[in-house]
Amino acid sequence: MKNREIVLKLAWRNVWRNKRRTILTLLTIIVGCSVILFQNAVAKGGHDRMIEDAAATNTGHIQIHEKGYWDNRTIDYAFQPENKLINALKNDERISGYTLRVHAEGLLSFKNSTAGTMIQGVDPVTEKSVSNLHSKILKGGRYLLPGDRNSIIMGMTLAKNIGANVGDTISMISQGFDGSIAAERLTVVGLFNAGNQEYDQGMIIMPISQAEETFSMMGYIHSIALRLRSSSDTGVVRGNIKKHIDNKIIEVLGWEELMPEMVQFIVMDDVNAYIFDFILFMIVAFGILNTIHMSIFERMREFGIMLSIGTAPRQVMGMVLCESLIITILGIIGGLGLGYAVCYYFYVNPLDFSGYANEMAVLSINMLVVPADASMLNGIVTAMVTLILCLLFSVFPARKAAKLNPIDAIRHL
Amino acid sequence: MQISIKNLYKNYQLNGLEVPAIRGIDLTIKKGEFSAIAGPSGSGKTTLLNIIGGLDRPTAGEIRVGNDDLNKLNQKELSDLRLHRIGFIFQAYNLIPVLTALENVEYVLLLQGVLKEERTTRSTRILEEVGLGEYINRFPKELSGGQQQRVAVARAIVSEPEIILADEPTANLDQKTGALLLDLMHDLNHKKNITFLFSTHDQMVMEKARRLVYLTDGTSNSDTFRGHGHFKDNKIKKKSKKKSN
Ligand SMILES: Nc1ncnc2c1ncn2[C@@H]1O[C@H](COP(=O)(O)OP(=O)(O)O)[C@@H](O)[C@H]1O
Ligand SMILES: [Mg+2]
Repeated sequence: MKNREIVLKLAWRNVWRNKRRTILTLLTIIVGCSVILFQNAVAKGGHDRMIEDAAATNTGHIQIHEKGYWDNRTIDYAFQPENKLINALKNDERISGYTLRVHAEGLLSFKNSTAGTMIQGVDPVTEKSVSNLHSKILKGGRYLLPGDRNSIIMGMTLAKNIGANVGDTISMISQGFDGSIAAERLTVVGLFNAGNQEYDQGMIIMPISQAEETFSMMGYIHSIALRLRSSSDTGVVRGNIKKHIDNKIIEVLGWEELMPEMVQFIVMDDVNAYIFDFILFMIVAFGILNTIHMSIFERMREFGIMLSIGTAPRQVMGMVLCESLIITILGIIGGLGLGYAVCYYFYVNPLDFSGYANEMAVLSINMLVVPADASMLNGIVTAMVTLILCLLFSVFPARKAAKLNPIDAIRHL
Repeated sequence: MQISIKNLYKNYQLNGLEVPAIRGIDLTIKKGEFSAIAGPSGSGKTTLLNIIGGLDRPTAGEIRVGNDDLNKLNQKELSDLRLHRIGFIFQAYNLIPVLTALENVEYVLLLQGVLKEERTTRSTRILEEVGLGEYINRFPKELSGGQQQRVAVARAIVSEPEIILADEPTANLDQKTGALLLDLMHDLNHKKNITFLFSTHDQMVMEKARRLVYLTDGTSNSDTFRGHGHFKDNKIKKKSKKKSN
C-alpha cells in the first residue's frame, strides 16, 4: 500500500521532469483523441441524418406488409391489419406515428404523353406523422386534404415529363387487386420536390379512400409505415410488433432491410473511418512509446541505483507504467474535453455542405447539413482504446527498465 | 555477522573472450570494520564490491553474508538482501533526482515498510547526523557533490544494514570534501559500530582506513591492519594457483 504511494509520487514527478516532451506527448494524445471523437461524431451524425432523411421522406423506420410484399412489390400482397396489431402500434410510446398505405403501379397519360408511375394511397392526416412530403409541396399547389377523392400530388419531375401542372386532370390506368382493370381520372392538386430522384420522377400520391375504390382493395392495404422517435429503437420496436402478429403471414421490416443500399454505404463509410482511426491511434501509441523509451534511456543510471538499493523490478515497472498512465489519462481527459467541445459546437452549428449540393447530388447524397453527434459510447470507446494501446505500448519499455542489470545500468552515465 | 569470501573468481565475457576480473580472493570482513580495498584502476575493486553486495554473481568461489550463501539466493532474495542488510554508496549520482534529500533517505525505509512517522523521524535524525539538517527538503540538484554523497551515506545507514559498501565514494569530490566525507563515515563507524567497506585509489582515503586490502589484477597481494597511525602487515596470502581460463 505504502509502496503504491511512492510509486505514484515518483511517477508523477518524473512525468513533469521533461515538461516540453510531456506536453508534446500530451498534445499528440489530445489532438489524436479529439480528432477521432470528432470524426466519429460527424460520421454518426451524418449517418443518422441520412437514415432520418430517408425515413422521413417516405419509407419510415419500420414497415409492416404481407409476407413477400417487399420482395415482389405487386398489388397481390395485401393484408387486413388486425385490431391487436393496430392497438400495439397505438400503445407503443417509441412510435411517433404510423400510417396505412396502398401501393400500385400504373400508367399515366396526359395529352400526348404517357409515363409509368408508382401510386401510393395515403391517409392525408396520419401520413403527416410518418413522412414529411407534405412539407415539400411546391408553391402553387397543396397537400392532400381529408375528404379529397380524385386529387393527387405528384413528383415534380414526373409532372414536367408529361407536361402536367397543378389543376390538370390526367388519366391513370392500372390493374385492381381483384384483377379487374383500374382506370381513373385524377386531378393534380400539388407537386412535390422530395429530394429523392425515384419519388420525384415517378410517384403520385392519392387519398387512400380513393385508392381503395380505384384498385378494388376491399379493405385490404399493402403496408403500414412507422416513424419512431429514435431510429436506434428500430430493433426493439420491431421485436415488440412481432409479438402481435402472425409471423407466417406478416413481415415487419426495419429501415436496414427497407434501405439496404444505405446500410451498405454506411458500412463502407465506417470502414474508411476505422482505417483513419487506426492510423491516428497508432500515431498516439507510438508517441507514448517514443516518450517512455526516451525517458527510460535517459534514466538508466537512476534505475540502476534504484534496483541496487533494493527496489523490486516490478516496482520499477510499475513506476514506468504509471508514468505512461498519467500522461495517457491526462491526454484522454484533454482529448475528450476538446473533442466533445468541438462536437458540441458542430452539433449546434451543423457542418453545412449546401455549397456542394450539386457534387453531393451526383453521389446521390441529399444530406446537406451534418451535425456532429458525439455519443457517450464514442467517447468511452475512444478513451478505452487509447488507454489500452498506450499501456500495451508502454509494457515493453517498462519491462526493459525493470529487467535492467543494475551494474550495467549504473555504469551507464 | 561477518562477510566471508573464499577462493573467489570472476570472469567477464568480452567479445567472446574471457576477461578475468577477480582471480582467487579470500577475505573475511568482521562486524565493525572500517576497511578499504585499494588498487589501481581495473584491479577488480568494483567487481568485488558488486559481488559482495549481491549485484553480480561470481564465476567460482563462495561468498557468505552472515549465514547466507549468496550463490544460493535467487534474484528476489538478493534484492531483499540489498534492501535490508546492505547499504550502497556509489561514486556519484547516487540519489533519485525527483526526491528531496529527506525523501531519498526515507525511500529505503518506505520499501522496507516502515511507518510514516518513524520513517520521517529516523530519516531527519540521520540527515542531521551527517550535517544536512538544514537541507532535508532540497532536491539533489540543489546540493553540492559533497552534500549529495552525505545524503547517500545517510540513505545507506538509515536502515542499519550489516555492511555499507562504498565504491570510490570520494572519487568525484575535491580533496577536502573527500576527507570530510571519510571523517563522517569513520565517525559513524566508531559511534554506531557500522561496518564499512570502501574501495579507493586515493592515498588520503587509504590512510584513513583501519584495514587496507590491496588488489592488483584481481588478486589481493597485501592485507594490512592499522591500529592508530601506522599500518602493520598482518598477513599476505598469495594464491599462486591460477584458475584455468
Ligand atoms: N561488465 C564487464 N565486462 C567485461 N569486463 C569487465 C566488466 N566489468 C569489469 N570488467 C573488467 O574487469 C576488470 C576489473 O574491473 P573493475 O572491477 O571495474 O576494476 P576497478 O573497479 O578496480 O577499476 C577490468 O579489467 C575491467 O575491464
Ligand atoms: Mg571501479
